Amino acid sequence: MRGAILVALASLLCASAAGAQTVQIPVIVPLTGPIALEGTSQRNGAVLAIEGAMPLKVDTTILDTAGAAEGGANAFERAAGGKGVVAAVAPMFGTQVLPMIPLADEYSIPLLTTAGTAAITEKGSKFVYRFFPSDMVTKRAQAKYVLEDLGKKKVAILYNATAYGQSGFDALTTYIKQGGGEVVYSDAIDLATKDMTPTFAKLKAANPDIVLIQMHTGSMALLLRQYRQAAVDIPVVANTMLTMPSTAALLEPAELKGVCAETSAWIGKGVSPDLDKFLDDYKAKYNAIPDFFALQQYDGVNMAIAAVKAGAKTPQDVQKYLASSEYKGAAMTYKSDGKGNMAHSAVIVCFDGTSRSPALVKRYDGKPATN
Amino acid sequence: MLQLSLNTVSLGSAYALVALGLVLVLNATNAVNFAHGALVMVGSYLAFAIAAVVPAKGIVILPLVLLSAAAFGLVLALIAYFPLRTKPVVAVFIATISAGTIFENLVLLTFGPEPRSTPPILGNRMLDLGNGVAIGEQSVAVICAAFVLIGGQYLLFAHTRFGRRLRAVAQDPDMAAACGINIKVMIAFTFMLAAALAGAAGMFLSATYYTSPTDGANYMMKAYLAVTIGGWGSIPGTVIGAFLVALFEVLIPAIPALIPGLDAVLPTATLFSMTSSTIALFLTFLAVLLLRPQGLFGEAIKKRA
Amino acid sequence: MSVSHARTAVGILFVLALAAWPLVFSSPFDLRIFTLAGVFAVMVIGYQFIFGHVGALALSQATFFGLGAYATAICAVHLGFGFPATLTLSVLVAVSVALFIAIPVLRLGSHYFALATLGISQIVTLVALEWVSLTGGGNGLSGVPLPSIAGLVIPRGWPLMLLVWSFVAAGGFVAWQMMRGLYGKACHVVRDDEVAARSLGIDIHRIRLTMLLLSAAYGGVAGALFAHVNRIASPEALEFKTMVLCLTMAVVGGRTKVAGAIVGALLIVHLPEWFRFLDRSYVMVNAIILIGLLIVAPEGLVGLLDRVLPRAPGEGMGKTLARHRPAMSPPARGALLPSTTPILEVRNLVKRFGGVKAIDDVSFDLHRGTITAVIGPNGSGKTTLVNCITGVEVPDVGAITLGGSAITGGRPHDIARAGIARTFQNLRLVDDMSVLDNVAVARFEAEGAGPLNALKIGREDPRLLRAYAYALHLLHRLGVEEVHRLCGSLPYGVKRRVEIARALALDPQVLLLDEPAAGLNESEQNDLAARLQDLAANGVTLLIIEHNMPFLRTLATYMICLDQGRVIAEGRPREIYENPLVLDAYLGRGAGASSASSPVFAEAGV
Repeated sequence: MRGAILVALASLLCASAAGAQTVQIPVIVPLTGPIALEGTSQRNGAVLAIEGAMPLKVDTTILDTAGAAEGGANAFERAAGGKGVVAAVAPMFGTQVLPMIPLADEYSIPLLTTAGTAAITEKGSKFVYRFFPSDMVTKRAQAKYVLEDLGKKKVAILYNATAYGQSGFDALTTYIKQGGGEVVYSDAIDLATKDMTPTFAKLKAANPDIVLIQMHTGSMALLLRQYRQAAVDIPVVANTMLTMPSTAALLEPAELKGVCAETSAWIGKGVSPDLDKFLDDYKAKYNAIPDFFALQQYDGVNMAIAAVKAGAKTPQDVQKYLASSEYKGAAMTYKSDGKGNMAHSAVIVCFDGTSRSPALVKRYDGKPATN
Repeated sequence: MLQLSLNTVSLGSAYALVALGLVLVLNATNAVNFAHGALVMVGSYLAFAIAAVVPAKGIVILPLVLLSAAAFGLVLALIAYFPLRTKPVVAVFIATISAGTIFENLVLLTFGPEPRSTPPILGNRMLDLGNGVAIGEQSVAVICAAFVLIGGQYLLFAHTRFGRRLRAVAQDPDMAAACGINIKVMIAFTFMLAAALAGAAGMFLSATYYTSPTDGANYMMKAYLAVTIGGWGSIPGTVIGAFLVALFEVLIPAIPALIPGLDAVLPTATLFSMTSSTIALFLTFLAVLLLRPQGLFGEAIKKRA
Repeated sequence: MSVSHARTAVGILFVLALAAWPLVFSSPFDLRIFTLAGVFAVMVIGYQFIFGHVGALALSQATFFGLGAYATAICAVHLGFGFPATLTLSVLVAVSVALFIAIPVLRLGSHYFALATLGISQIVTLVALEWVSLTGGGNGLSGVPLPSIAGLVIPRGWPLMLLVWSFVAAGGFVAWQMMRGLYGKACHVVRDDEVAARSLGIDIHRIRLTMLLLSAAYGGVAGALFAHVNRIASPEALEFKTMVLCLTMAVVGGRTKVAGAIVGALLIVHLPEWFRFLDRSYVMVNAIILIGLLIVAPEGLVGLLDRVLPRAPGEGMGKTLARHRPAMSPPARGALLPSTTPILEVRNLVKRFGGVKAIDDVSFDLHRGTITAVIGPNGSGKTTLVNCITGVEVPDVGAITLGGSAITGGRPHDIARAGIARTFQNLRLVDDMSVLDNVAVARFEAEGAGPLNALKIGREDPRLLRAYAYALHLLHRLGVEEVHRLCGSLPYGVKRRVEIARALALDPQVLLLDEPAAGLNESEQNDLAARLQDLAANGVTLLIIEHNMPFLRTLATYMICLDQGRVIAEGRPREIYENPLVLDAYLGRGAGASSASSPVFAEAGV
């Protein structure tokens, strides 16, 4: 049955693109299961870029990886056999990207991902391109902001007991220590944990100057709300997930007052025409406010499209372009550091307690090829 | 300490509602309904959807949530239980897991993957009890509502003809059938009642803790634990079991904060982390099984799979 | 005959389809999915041991699978071991954890067993998640190399697929070989009725332990392969959803047949891929199809075949059985010995339940070749007495000796092996096994059937054939002719005789019969009485628990009357019938004097 559909699809493509080059960028992201939220944003950004590639015609297939570790690799192998694949969007879930890397090497197809997990660009592959500041950039910015701008040295870290949480926790711990700070308390919080008051009790006993958070959407919203209810008044600097509109929507503006977060770029009108266009197009197509996953993936796919527009015909050509070129996207300027880390900027944003949109507080522009 | 105890009771009450629904179906059908967690999640989203149409306090929309969740219970019984009633119990096990998957993805497709919050029963203010102890209006309301629902269920079973019939079906279906009770209707009603309880629990839980489409599995696990610790099929045992689960989630990880100076003696950071407390919950559970293989309150019904 | 040919044809078609599959669907993606299906097939074949063959709902198979994956990943990534070493270690780790789990958990009842195994799995998952330095934490341990054997790397695609499927073939063969003989039949009884299994001298804990360890070993192999195919070991492999996947494969495919595991794995792995074009709805469609499959084939797709093309009764057994007909009837153990000392002695037995003495200072002797009846009103402690003698209950005080050696407080299967067999008041036969199998399985211990010697079976299991021959002889002696019928379809009276034949197949010195005449009509009762007398004449000592006085009147040589746990009278039947105490016990105080005539007593049927 599937074979028949592929054949039908293929013939359709041939007919429509008679003679013209067929370019395909499959989108492999989790659309069901526990990380569907992030995956859906990623898909939205990628699809927006693909549809906006005019006059170039880019085909795509959208493949769900669900929550399983093998989901990404299965979908990639399925997509890699397609016609004219020049690059593939890979999940923001590092565990799924890791098994895809040997396959990407084998097929020589570059992966465009927004996964923050440090490990994916440390495997020595030429085919992994991360369009999101890695933990090295964002966690360093978060630590720097806390130690230098706020002058707080005694730090508590709360993180989710997941790959994302652990990876951020490790990076934060390293940078806090490097910067002369001290981690006085930390706790891994299970995604299923409902009542976080015991953590607050222990947190208060450790008496930190500041609380750093590395958590997922729902868990973080829950934590912040209970944090307010428990009347803990230690300032908070959270991770980028807080800036997702769906996180902020779960909290009252007052509950967000004074809370800051690191993220890749401040998303709002008036920064640049490219960002404005992205915001307008996204709103028009999805009737929702985009988050950084959508924005960064949008830029990532656009860079691959730019490669094709610049004459790249094969996935190898696209890889060379990604590895060597500089690209100005809607969020920032991207350039590989030689390992596939493309994004080197991070910002700190803070909520003022009156709205659910944060204000830009500080910008950290890193350079590629730093360590 | 008082604060933590209040939180434990509040969370435990909601868990008790979840677990009670599970035990009701268990008693009536001999089968673990693995879609029960998904029903809790469905309840949250029903409350969310109803609140979008009827902008009112939780207490107003609660009856609507109960009714619509009951409808889901009936659907569940019709697709995953009745066709397999005479078949091996594991078939029902898998069918209810599949039904849970269907519910989960139905919600995902309808509402999207974002976590949602539902309106509180009365309000969301914090009531200051002095000495730095505060309790949310919602927590008080949840505790009361849970006790009203649990009490109502007790009255239904103990003091109405209808309840006695339900009990008869649970205790001995064959005998009940011989006495002219329509077992199928009774089982369908049990599913609806269980789903209504799950729906209420879902609404209570998501007002305080949010819900996303994949949350069902977590509630399922907690309810399953509560039922087994308490004693398979025992209603008071299940309620106690639910509070025990909440205890491990709230009170145990707070031990280092409650007993100052403990960290000098023990590596408290690892010993009482959230993860260690979860491990401790499962270890306690295993210990209960070893020492009292019938659960804390003994088994209500024998020979179950 | 046509049905049997059709079954063979279906089997051949199945193997051909399996072989043709990767040739037809041969894209790298198809091969990858087919390889994964093979990995899961190994896991499910293993799971069938504990879940299918002995019917214990273990929820730990994903744990063994995940442990296998982690062991391989850790040894290959950190230590650089080759495939043979990592595979061995994966199996060892899984089996040792299983052994550790088994100690507390194996004795628990069904649902507690399920949840206890689930609880242990959760603990293992949490530990894997937290022990970041060893396991890589939530990210998992990536960079697992392709398997290499003696320096030769097995590349992806066909070679890796063939490697995985050769494990399926080998694992499937071992499983089939192990379960097709007498050992497999014993597992079937354990699954169906633990009490009956114990009474047949089968050590159910030992069998369950063996099955759990086998499951773990297969799980470890599958996990090792999974790590190599997927190039990563991550906590997802340990999680409950992997367990659900495994369980679903076993239930949808079939619980006890190797083909079921393979069909289940292939189907469940491919199903989402076939409906992937439905965008996000495919998950729902997948679940709906699963429920549909369960409704159509609740016993599994391979079980459906048994329904459509039922195996002919006694198929293929006629010839082999003819060759193995016993030359002479096996003598009963008791007949060889002189009968001056009592064979069974019960001394001062006391059993309390709470504050109530169910058995209160009961003593008696049984002499070889005698038929002793224990009578007494309901609740007088008759069944408790049987349970104490057979080890189902442990007496609080007292001693029981069989042939001079103490058996008090022994485990039921040990007592059965020592020579006490029993039947049950409410028949405990395995309904979905043939009459012959039901009886033959009692030879399990005598034939020394075990998992290891089951592996050496050639065309036929010689132990099973000998057991069949033995069983046929006994069934014949008890007048049961339709030996290939399923037990569930037999009339009640025949079932009684089958159960007695099964007890006799243990070659017991003492046979305890718990209300053997219940539910039999008069001619059946007479027939049974005659057969029991014949047994006693051949040296078997009988102890009969019975209400039915007319049945006992001519049968029993000695009678013991219990009332409220105490022996109130014992002696020859005639003495008992006239004993006022007995009449009082049966008919109420004061009734003894007025209705002392035995005909009334007999007709009351008490």
